Amino acid sequence: MILLDRPIAIAGARSIARAVRSGELSAVAVIEDRLERIARLNPRLNAFTNILEDRALAEAAAVDALVAAGRDPGPLAGVPFGVKDNYDVAGRVTTAGSIINLKLPPAHEDAVLVRRLTNAGAILVGTQNMDEFAYGFTTENAHYGATRNPRDAGRSAGGSSGGSAAAVAAGLVDFSLGTDTNGSIRVPSSFCGVFGLKPTFGRLPRTGTFPFVHDLDHLGPFANSADDLALVYDAIQGFDAGDAACAQRRADPVSASLAAANDGLRVAVLDGWFHDNADDQGRAAVRTVADALGATGRVTLHGAERARAAAFVLTSASGGNLHAEALAERAEDFDPATRSRLLAGLLLPANLVLQAQRVRLLFQAEVSAAFRDHDLLLAPATPCAAPLLGQPTIGVAGRDVATRPNIGLLTQPLSFVGLPIVAVPVAGAGMPIGVQIVAPPWAEALALQTAARLEREGVVGLEAANP
Amino acid sequence: MITIEDIDRLAALAGIRIDPAFVAGVAQAMETLLAQGRLLTDPPLAAEIEPAAVFRP
Repeated sequence: MILLDRPIAIAGARSIARAVRSGELSAVAVIEDRLERIARLNPRLNAFTNILEDRALAEAAAVDALVAAGRDPGPLAGVPFGVKDNYDVAGRVTTAGSIINLKLPPAHEDAVLVRRLTNAGAILVGTQNMDEFAYGFTTENAHYGATRNPRDAGRSAGGSSGGSAAAVAAGLVDFSLGTDTNGSIRVPSSFCGVFGLKPTFGRLPRTGTFPFVHDLDHLGPFANSADDLALVYDAIQGFDAGDAACAQRRADPVSASLAAANDGLRVAVLDGWFHDNADDQGRAAVRTVADALGATGRVTLHGAERARAAAFVLTSASGGNLHAEALAERAEDFDPATRSRLLAGLLLPANLVLQAQRVRLLFQAEVSAAFRDHDLLLAPATPCAAPLLGQPTIGVAGRDVATRPNIGLLTQPLSFVGLPIVAVPVAGAGMPIGVQIVAPPWAEALALQTAARLEREGVVGLEAANP
Repeated sequence: MITIEDIDRLAALAGIRIDPAFVAGVAQAMETLLAQGRLLTDPPLAAEIEPAAVFRP
């Protein structure tokens, strides 16, 4: 069932900002349009958990006032966006998809990235559904319901940032912010057919977001084009002392150089683990992208399976540790899908946790070696396209495996070593699937430029809002 | 095979209270986790490979 039932007049962050900045379109009109669309489609999609109508309209009016006064309203003037429910929004409790957090006081200020976007003129219209505490890949939340895929309402939107990706794919907002610990931006990008950026670990400050695994958590945006992704990325970069893991690096703006030719790139397809655990559609999507980039090489990252296992173990142990008090006092209030894994994580031998951190360094060396000979690496984002909601198993490498723990097979090893990755959507006969463009640390610009080139050539990207 | 008794024993040793209604689910999750854990320990790592640093002074 297709839920995208009408085109919206002006879509895309850059187009909206241009129209609003020039006075051709009012920010209030844009927000009213999106609020109407959300009211109509969200009851079925369940992408948003809260709509911030009053705030959005007030901020839009303020943007229009700046334009009327001849002042600069910012590069994202009037662009509607949403954030995953683990970002602080002033005056609201940051639930992180749980009911456990409802006991917390409301946030006293917005998360740093939300503040930066607001300062750039973007308009926050609501918070978005997710797996409880970001521990999942399907956004089938026991408390807040499942988010449905806008391209097929019977299918998963992916997770854990499922609401954020679905909202962009359905044209409810023009970009969203999500988080990615093990694949939670790249998986929903793949399932919903949108672009997603997981920057280098430490690039974007997580100040004002609810954590999951401190040394694996990343923040990043979703959008319907590489250009919009870059525009948003440029607005949110920069150091913030509130996040101990945030690197003290200067912002590295990419929008202005998005059309860079980057001729002669050495691009290789990831073989081994990343080939063996993908289905035919995923392999074909990678081949399509590789052919467009003239990639002929193949690289096997030895130890990818181990790296994935290490990420799996660390996640459970760290998540269990983070929620130990609530697990002792209110275990019954957790989503059953989350509870068992967090409790098991609490019982893991320390030996395995330390071993996982050792595996991390070993795999980092393996990846660094691969980037000595290649500029970019390619891999499918998910083992398959979006499964049905509630589907218990997926086919991987010729066998049926449990859906929920295995959707991240191809994302986990790469985020484990903090690499910047752009997930790009490749159309399929039915549902789309994502391809990961993997760059060396701090080379987000190269991955975004490559995504933009592929989009210009018509290799990636979908007509999301115009069915 | 991780049993309910295994989880009960582990939880008692670690001082963690787990509602009996949830123990079977924990046993299943632990089974999955330890299967992944076995991939970390076999083959063993060279002694000079240190854990990745988290602490930043």
